Amino acid sequence: MNIDELLLTAELAQLELTESESVALAEAVSQMVDYFARMQEVDVDGLPPTTHALLTENRLRPDTVRESTLADNLLESAPDVEDRFVVIPNVL
Amino acid sequence: MESYWKSVLSAESSRAAYQSAVTARNQQLGAFLEFDPERGAAVSAEHCLEAVNRGQRAGDNPPDSALATVERLPFAVKDNIAVDTFSLTCGSRMLERFRSPYSATAVARLCAAGATVVGKTNMDEFGMGSATENSALAQTHNPFDRSRVAGGSSGGSAVAVAAGMVPFALGSDTGGSIRQPAAFCGVYGLKPTYGSVSRYGLVAYASSLEGIGVLASSVDLTEAVFQVMRGQDEMDHSSLATPAELVGASSVAQTGTRVGVLTGDLGLDDQVAAGYQRSIEVLQQLGYRFERVELPTLEYCVPAYYTIAAAEASANLARYNGVRYGLRPDYAENPEELVRAAREQGFGPEVKLRILLGTYVLRSGFQDQYYLRAQKIRTAIRNDLTRIFQSVDLLFMPVFPVQAFGHGAEGLSPFQQKLADRFTSTANLSGLPALALPMGLENGLPLGMQLMAPAFHEHRLFQVARVLEEELPPPVPPQYPPLWQSHTVPE
Repeated sequence: MNIDELLLTAELAQLELTESESVALAEAVSQMVDYFARMQEVDVDGLPPTTHALLTENRLRPDTVRESTLADNLLESAPDVEDRFVVIPNVL
Repeated sequence: MESYWKSVLSAESSRAAYQSAVTARNQQLGAFLEFDPERGAAVSAEHCLEAVNRGQRAGDNPPDSALATVERLPFAVKDNIAVDTFSLTCGSRMLERFRSPYSATAVARLCAAGATVVGKTNMDEFGMGSATENSALAQTHNPFDRSRVAGGSSGGSAVAVAAGMVPFALGSDTGGSIRQPAAFCGVYGLKPTYGSVSRYGLVAYASSLEGIGVLASSVDLTEAVFQVMRGQDEMDHSSLATPAELVGASSVAQTGTRVGVLTGDLGLDDQVAAGYQRSIEVLQQLGYRFERVELPTLEYCVPAYYTIAAAEASANLARYNGVRYGLRPDYAENPEELVRAAREQGFGPEVKLRILLGTYVLRSGFQDQYYLRAQKIRTAIRNDLTRIFQSVDLLFMPVFPVQAFGHGAEGLSPFQQKLADRFTSTANLSGLPALALPMGLENGLPLGMQLMAPAFHEHRLFQVARVLEEELPPPVPPQYPPLWQSHTVPE
């Protein structure tokens, strides 16, 4: 994987990389992607993909209202709060 | 030993002695990120029972014997599993100051049975690693040789149990993260059937592969903790109830058990290869019948595993953006810069690598080549194992191709560590239960092997492990607290 490909991927992943990081990561990512190529040797024709090892169908639950008491606790975790709003830098 | 653990937290004098002994030992080993029995005692059994009984967490009723076994025991919890008011760092700068607002179902079920959390253990950042060296917060050492790693990613939990700081600890296993450190530190490590223990409260890394399990100092305790934790949970829609006919299945040793073993060049180093052969001989002497089995998909486990794990990680870790919780940079011009700076500063190199890898394999145009193909290989691996379990009751395999390796450059490179996941990731890809068991010492270091069983057949793992425990009790590291081996309470 070249640096341009890596930087495009990093942008999609919302990761900012320093120059030295980019070089090291490009090498490490390439090594893994090359290794993944080994999967091409397997004949997977006719095999369905596995998404859950044991569950074969979606499980649904009734769409009912439930009380949650976690809101205040969760707000306490926010780095910057004003009243009950999470503060972020200006959008515009 | 059991009576010591049952009473250690009840009297103030023994609690204080315990606290200072663990604190001192922890300075040498780095097992705990947070050690606070008082805080754990405040997470009351009544509160947890209420949470369990609320109907949201209905599960299989654990047997009375299991409830009695865990009652009043102190235990440690890996720092990616939520415990009300404790830290939940995941070994990351990103969550260094985060406190959990609730407890995981598995933890609540144990606390409801009267067990007490005493602390949170160190781990590879977000569970990504095999040595606990990817923790951004602390260094963890192997209690048998401090110049070596504890294994990972549940390294802190393995050390806490091996060094006698707690009788059991919870960990999580995505590709071997319970079994590999258990093998490196000489303790039992159970990765249960996927979905049998609720993931509610486990910080997500690779959702389709991971689960909560237990590391413990004995087979009885491993089984009891598992029985208390397991059960379908409305808070985790991928959780599964154990089939009724298997819930009470006996884990007493059976005769005529057929055990499958792998043949050919498994890529093990000399000690582990010799240990594997010797373990097979021990089992043969105990009357087990062996069959050689072929697992042709074994060499594709690691690429399939890392493709799926990285893909799921890139999606699961998208939530860390510095807005609602977690690390926030000192200054950012706009929201986009805030997100990028938070992720730049908050994540370590291994996490960035896996996010990039996952984002790459999911990019438009590459999905069929990587992610979809990996999921199909996953099916091939499951088919292989289904075939194998038609002729044997259990599969006996190494855990890792080498014993505990040295720190840093003395050890394995990150890439070599990944390749070494081939024996453990099989159970995660297939969802099957597997138990790492200590098989004595080799060159002064613990040697671990694992048993794997069909889904929901954990009792078969315990059947054989219990027999082996009598032959080969878990090794005890240097400085194992002498008082804790007797029935006296330290003053």
